[in-house]
Amino acid sequence: MPTEQPTQQEAFERIAMPHLAALLRVARRLTLNGAAAEDLVQETMLLAWRGFHRFQTDSNARAWLFRILLNAFYGQGRKAQRASALLPVSTVVDTRLQEALEIREALEALPIEQRTVLLLCVVEGFTCREIAEILNVPIGTVMSRLSRARQELRNSLAPLMKAPKAMEAGGAFR
Amino acid sequence: MTDDELDQRVRASILAEEVDTARLQRSIRERIRRPRLPRWAFAAAASIALVIAGGVAYLTLVRPQTPPICVAAAQDHQREIVNGEPRRWLSDVNAIQSLAQKQGVPASAISALATTGYRLERARLCFLKKQIFLHLVYTKDGSEYSVYLRPPSGLFEGSVRGEGPLAYFETNRVTAVFVGHGADAMAFARAGARVL
Repeated sequence: MPTEQPTQQEAFERIAMPHLAALLRVARRLTLNGAAAEDLVQETMLLAWRGFHRFQTDSNARAWLFRILLNAFYGQGRKAQRASALLPVSTVVDTRLQEALEIREALEALPIEQRTVLLLCVVEGFTCREIAEILNVPIGTVMSRLSRARQELRNSLAPLMKAPKAMEAGGAFR
Repeated sequence: MTDDELDQRVRASILAEEVDTARLQRSIRERIRRPRLPRWAFAAAASIALVIAGGVAYLTLVRPQTPPICVAAAQDHQREIVNGEPRRWLSDVNAIQSLAQKQGVPASAISALATTGYRLERARLCFLKKQIFLHLVYTKDGSEYSVYLRPPSGLFEGSVRGEGPLAYFETNRVTAVFVGHGADAMAFARAGARVL
């Protein structure tokens, strides 16, 4: 029995949509503004949709989408527009969340290039080589940015790091 | 603290965020479900853009520019007539005709222009781009028009050309530049070209 070919739209949804949360997560940390992050991700997905006919299904969709996202972010000279914080202070109710907030603030204080590399590597799990391809920079540049980012974070979080690790329990918050 | 420990804390902090993509998914699905414009629409849009670009290129690159002598005439008209710089003018028709003749402009040209419905008010000599012109001022319906005449000099092609407040032409008797008010200058020049 012949199987029906998925439409272009179905294929796009199957391939691209699962990465929406990861894209939004990184977009939030880049733009520091919830609404701007959603706009950036929407723009990314529409750009991806327009170029989907050129996408080879056996290639890395996640890296492809992040490349589009970062090109859109850097290409349009977007800057962080810190809105009232993504995490309202009133929702910080315990030390676990307090620690998360401090880590996030330290992350947001990093220069954008370092922050980008750190997010892609540490949070999204890309290798340095993949990040170099996504950002179209030499791998050495990625590694040095990553190293500097970690050092900056260490300096910023020094007092926190002396305290017992509180994040292990995890927990969701907005 | 090792890199791994640091990474783990950062990762935990970021991944602990609740990321609600429902609204975004709806919005994106809605956008990508919109029918795309057919290819012919893009082709039509491209053709229109091409025509517009061609028009702009023609206007800016190909179309002959206003001759510098006419620009100088317009500036002279602005200075002498609109701004009313104090100058010595001749207002006697005979004196004006005599002056014209001395400059190689047929005296009959002065009276011929008067038959077009415009009234000769005054005249003087002036320099436009280092060339001597007879500057005649005519009026009609309360508006003043400048007519700059000199013997044929090969500055322009024969027919009446120009736009807006500027018109110019050349006959076998005179080179003429008309400066006035909008389309009226062109009308005056066309009438003038018939009698000069």
